[in-house]
Amino acid sequence: MSNSTGVSARGKGRAGFGSAFPVAYERARRRAGARRAPLNLLLLPLLYVTETFGAINETFHEWWIRQPGWSRWTVYILLIVGGVLLPSEQVASFMSPETDWATLLFFPIGGYVLLAIGLNVVVGQAGLLDLGYVAFFAIGGYTMAVFGTKYGWSFWEILLVGLVLSALSGVVLGAPTLRLRGDYLAIVTLGFGEIVRITANNTEYIGGPNGIGGIPHPPSLSEWAFPDAFPFNLVGLEGVQPLSYGTLSAHSYYYLMLATIVAVIIFAKRLERSRVGRAWAAVREDEDAAELMGVPTFKFKLAAFAIGAAIGGAVGVVYASQAISIIPNNFPFILSATILAAVVMGGSGNIPGVMVGAFLVAWIPERIRFFGEYRVLIFGAVLVALMVFRPEGILPSRQRKAELEEGTGGMGSMGAEVAGPTADAEAGR
Amino acid sequence: MLLEVKDIHVHYGKIAALHGVSLEVDEGEIVTLIGANGAGKTTTLKTISGLRPLSRGKIMFDGADISRVAGHKRVLSGIGQAPEGRGIFPGMTVTENLMMGCYARKGDVSRDLAQVFELFPRLAERKDQAGGTMSGGEQQMLAIGRALMTNPRVLLLDEPSMGLAPKLIQQIFSIIQEINRRGTTVLLVEQNAQQALQVAHRAYVIETGEIVKSAEASALLDDPEVRAAYLGGGADRPVGGSEPEQAAGAPEEPRDG
Ligand SMILES: Nc1ncnc2c1ncn2[C@@H]1O[C@H](COP(=O)(O)OP(=O)(O)OP(=O)(O)O)[C@@H](O)[C@H]1O
Ligand SMILES: [Mg+2]
Repeated sequence: MSNSTGVSARGKGRAGFGSAFPVAYERARRRAGARRAPLNLLLLPLLYVTETFGAINETFHEWWIRQPGWSRWTVYILLIVGGVLLPSEQVASFMSPETDWATLLFFPIGGYVLLAIGLNVVVGQAGLLDLGYVAFFAIGGYTMAVFGTKYGWSFWEILLVGLVLSALSGVVLGAPTLRLRGDYLAIVTLGFGEIVRITANNTEYIGGPNGIGGIPHPPSLSEWAFPDAFPFNLVGLEGVQPLSYGTLSAHSYYYLMLATIVAVIIFAKRLERSRVGRAWAAVREDEDAAELMGVPTFKFKLAAFAIGAAIGGAVGVVYASQAISIIPNNFPFILSATILAAVVMGGSGNIPGVMVGAFLVAWIPERIRFFGEYRVLIFGAVLVALMVFRPEGILPSRQRKAELEEGTGGMGSMGAEVAGPTADAEAGR
Repeated sequence: MLLEVKDIHVHYGKIAALHGVSLEVDEGEIVTLIGANGAGKTTTLKTISGLRPLSRGKIMFDGADISRVAGHKRVLSGIGQAPEGRGIFPGMTVTENLMMGCYARKGDVSRDLAQVFELFPRLAERKDQAGGTMSGGEQQMLAIGRALMTNPRVLLLDEPSMGLAPKLIQQIFSIIQEINRRGTTVLLVEQNAQQALQVAHRAYVIETGEIVKSAEASALLDDPEVRAAYLGGGADRPVGGSEPEQAAGAPEEPRDG
C-alpha cells in the first residue's frame, strides 16, 4: 500500500495501540473540518468513534499479520470465551437495561450477525447485490416450522434439510438471474424476497398470514449447568444450562447461535483464502477480466448465491426453533435492507467488519428505545451520516478500500460493470 | 490458420454491432485491426475471447469451432486478451493480478512470472502495489503481462496505446514486437493506425461493423484512402499537434522482426 493511511498505520504498528487514539482524533478532525460550521461540530464525535475503530483495526491488522500461529489461536479462544461470557449480568445492565439481554443476544443480535456473515459472501466477496436475502431466512424458518410441526422431525435433521433447501432456492433464483448485472440483479432479488413472503401469506398449507405455531424446540443435549465457580460466578452465569432447550431462558439458544456463528466464520474464512475466494474477488473487481483469466464466473456467482442462501437458511432454522411461532411478516423487505446496511456499514468483504455492523444495527435501536417513536429517525440519520463520511465502512478490508478508491467493485457488482457501453463510450473519448 | 473469424454477426440487443466480419490470423503473425470509434473493434475481440455471443458465423481456433465455447474455456485453449481500458483488478497487488492470469493453469508458473517481470521491469519494481494505484501506462503493462500469464497462443490486445505518452507508446509497441518474436501470435486493435501498421505484418480495416479492406500492413501505410481516413490526410503533411506520437514514432521504428 502506498497511500497515506497505509504508511501511517505501519508507523503506528511499532508505536503500539495507545497512539491509535490521537491518530484517530487527527483524522476525524480532518474529515469533519472539510464541512461547514454547525455540521462539523455534530459530525466530530461520530467520526471520532468510527476513526478510532478504523485506527484500532489498522493497528491490530499490522500486529496480527506478524503473529505466529499460537498467538492467533489465543486470540480466537479469548474471543470465544468472551462470547460465552457475554450474556453476563454486568454486561446486560449496561447493554440492555430494558430488555432481556440473552434474548436480545440470540435475536436480533446473533441472528443479524450470522445473516450479515452470510450476505457478506454474496455482496462482500462475490460483489453481487442481493436485496432479497430475507427470502432464504424465511425458507429456513418455514422449513423448521413445517418439518417440526407436520412431520415431527428433530431440530438437527431439519437443520440439514434447511441448509439444502435454502441452498437449492439460491440456485433456483440465481441460475436465471445471475446473467444480469448490477441494478438489474438487485431488482430481481428484491422481487424474489417479496414473492417468498407473499406466497407464504397466501398458502393455506403453511398457515397463510397466521403462520405456523407450536414449533418444537431442539431436543436438549445435556442438563449440564455452568458450575458455581470462576469465571461463571463472577458474571452471574452459574446454574445456566447451556445445552438444554426449554422455554425458560434464552441462554441456550444464544449458545446455539454462537456455535453456528463460529462454525460459519471458520467455513467462510477458509473459502475466502481458497481458490474460490480468489475467483470471487476477481469477479467482484472486474467480471469480464475474470472470465478472460479462465475463471468460470457464472459458476462462482452461483456458488456464492447458494452458500449465502444456505447460511441465511441456517439462521432461519435456528430462529424458528426458538420462536415457537412464525408468520410471513417476520420476513419483511426491511430486514433484507437492514442486513445489507449492516454489511455495507460494517465494511463489506471483511468478516469482523460486517459483524460489528450487524451488532450495531441490531443493538442501537434496542438501546435507544427511550427515544420512543424517534429512535428509527435517529438511527437512520446515524446510518446516513456514517455512509456519507465513511463510505468504506467502519472496518473495511484493505482490498475493498483500494477497490472503492478506484471506483469499482464498490457496491455489489454495480461498479464491476466496467465493460459496459458507458465505459466504452468514455474510453473512446 | 491459427484463428479464423468467419462472417460473424454480433448484436447488442436489437442493434447489430458487427454484420459479417471475417478475418484470419496465422501462427506467428502480428495482425492489426484498425478503425474509427464505434467501428466494432472491441466487439470483434470480445466475441473472439467469448465475452459476447455471436448470432451468426463461426470462430475457428486451431482447426476447432469455438463459437459456442464459454469464455473461460477459450483461455485454456490459448486465447489471451488484454481488454480495452485495461481491466486490471484494482484491489489486488501487481503480483496477485499476474497470478490471476494463471488461475486456470496447473503446474509451475514461476518461469512465466520471471519472464513477465523481465519484459516489464517496472512491474517487478512495483510487485506489491495495488493495481488500482498504478499509473495508466503501468496498468497497460500489467494488463499485457497478465494476459501473457495465461500462456496464450494468440494474444488479443485492445488499444494498448490508449492514453499513453508518445515515449511509452514506443515502448509498448516494441514490447509487442518482442513478445511476437518469442513466438506469440498477436491480434492488435488500434486507433493509432500509424504505429500499428508499422509493427504489424497484415492489417484489416473495419468500418461500422464490416471489414472494408485487408492487405499487407506496409501496403496500407501507402494506401491513399487509408491515409486520408486514419493517418491524417496528405502524403507529405504529417498531422498537426493532435497526434504527436506520429512524429515521434515513425523514423526509429524498424519494421518486422
Ligand atoms: N454494451 C453495449 N451495448 C450497446 N451497444 C454497444 C455496447 N458495446 C458496444 N456497443 C456499440 O457497438 C458498436 C461497436 O462498438 P465497439 O466498442 O466494438 O467499437 P470500437 O471499434 O471498439 O470503438 P472504440 O475505438 O471507440 O473503442 C458501437 O456502435 C457501440 O455503440
Ligand atoms: Mg474499442
